[in-house]
Amino acid sequence: MESSFRRGAREGMRDFLPISVGLVPWAMVTGIAMRSIGLSPLEAMGMNLLVYAGTAQLGTLPLLASGAPLWLIFLTALVLNLRFVIFSAALAPAFHGHRFMRRLASSYLLVDGMFAIGADKLRRADDAQWRWGYYIVPSLYGWGLWQCCVLVGVLGAGVIPRDWSLEFMTTIALMVMMIPMLRERPMWVAALVGGLGAVLLRELPLRLGLIAGIALGIGAGFMAERALARRAAR
Amino acid sequence: MSAGVMSEGLWLWLTLLVIGSTTILTRGSFILAGEKGRLPPALQRALRYAPAAALSALVMPDLLLDGGSLDPLNPKLAAGIVVVVVAWRWRSPWLPFILGMAVLLLMRKGLGW
Repeated sequence: MESSFRRGAREGMRDFLPISVGLVPWAMVTGIAMRSIGLSPLEAMGMNLLVYAGTAQLGTLPLLASGAPLWLIFLTALVLNLRFVIFSAALAPAFHGHRFMRRLASSYLLVDGMFAIGADKLRRADDAQWRWGYYIVPSLYGWGLWQCCVLVGVLGAGVIPRDWSLEFMTTIALMVMMIPMLRERPMWVAALVGGLGAVLLRELPLRLGLIAGIALGIGAGFMAERALARRAAR
Repeated sequence: MSAGVMSEGLWLWLTLLVIGSTTILTRGSFILAGEKGRLPPALQRALRYAPAAALSALVMPDLLLDGGSLDPLNPKLAAGIVVVVVAWRWRSPWLPFILGMAVLLLMRKGLGW
């Protein structure tokens, strides 16, 4: 008789394996990008272990490179990770009753792909052991895959000539992450206002322009959504 | 000199730790708190726009500014437009990187822009 943990793990892996392939290029680009701003291999892998969030890692690299103040780096990383608050709220019932250390590990390992495939099943399954297997086994596999592929990028970056403007890989990566989000019009508004806001407000002291631009973008997206909903209701 | 390098290294690791803290703060927010709190629906909807606004706020200054002033005719913007078109049109994970870097390097090295 197979335990429900193992059945959960098997189903989780079956769901997660196909999308985990998509992690490979991301991880390698992240590895190269971290080296391109001058982090040593040890520092790059340290960042990868401590942060384990591709968007926040790539997004804070330009700030690290330009010596931005710590609070700005913190706020930017926080904003880039804010979507996880929504994921965390949605998944929290699935971890109800687990020990603190398990919940801490689950939090650290929570990535977009796992949420995308598992949110529904994790909410509906009644068996806590099945849920634990379904979540933790693919999450650990994804973590290992990410670390290995980042290491390949980190070590491979040394082979590429210095004057190849590799830091631009970070900008490309951020764009490629952003574009699939722009399927709805309010998202367009949020991105346009956020980006142009950051450009136009760049002279603000303490580099507040970045945070101000982001705040304006969030507000504009939200207002556009409400305006569209009102128009549709009429 | 060595003390300066040392504190620079320590500062970097502290910074990395601070960035990492946002991972736990956000991902753990509700999982660690149990299910005591609920996110207000309006806030939840507004937060959906945070990643797009933030990514764009990081990308656009890099594409539009050259040395701190607006410059719409720069190789990074040209490469950026190629990346947007390619990423929008095809789902390939590699193509935007290959073509984007190719355009940038061609303009910078080939044309000396």
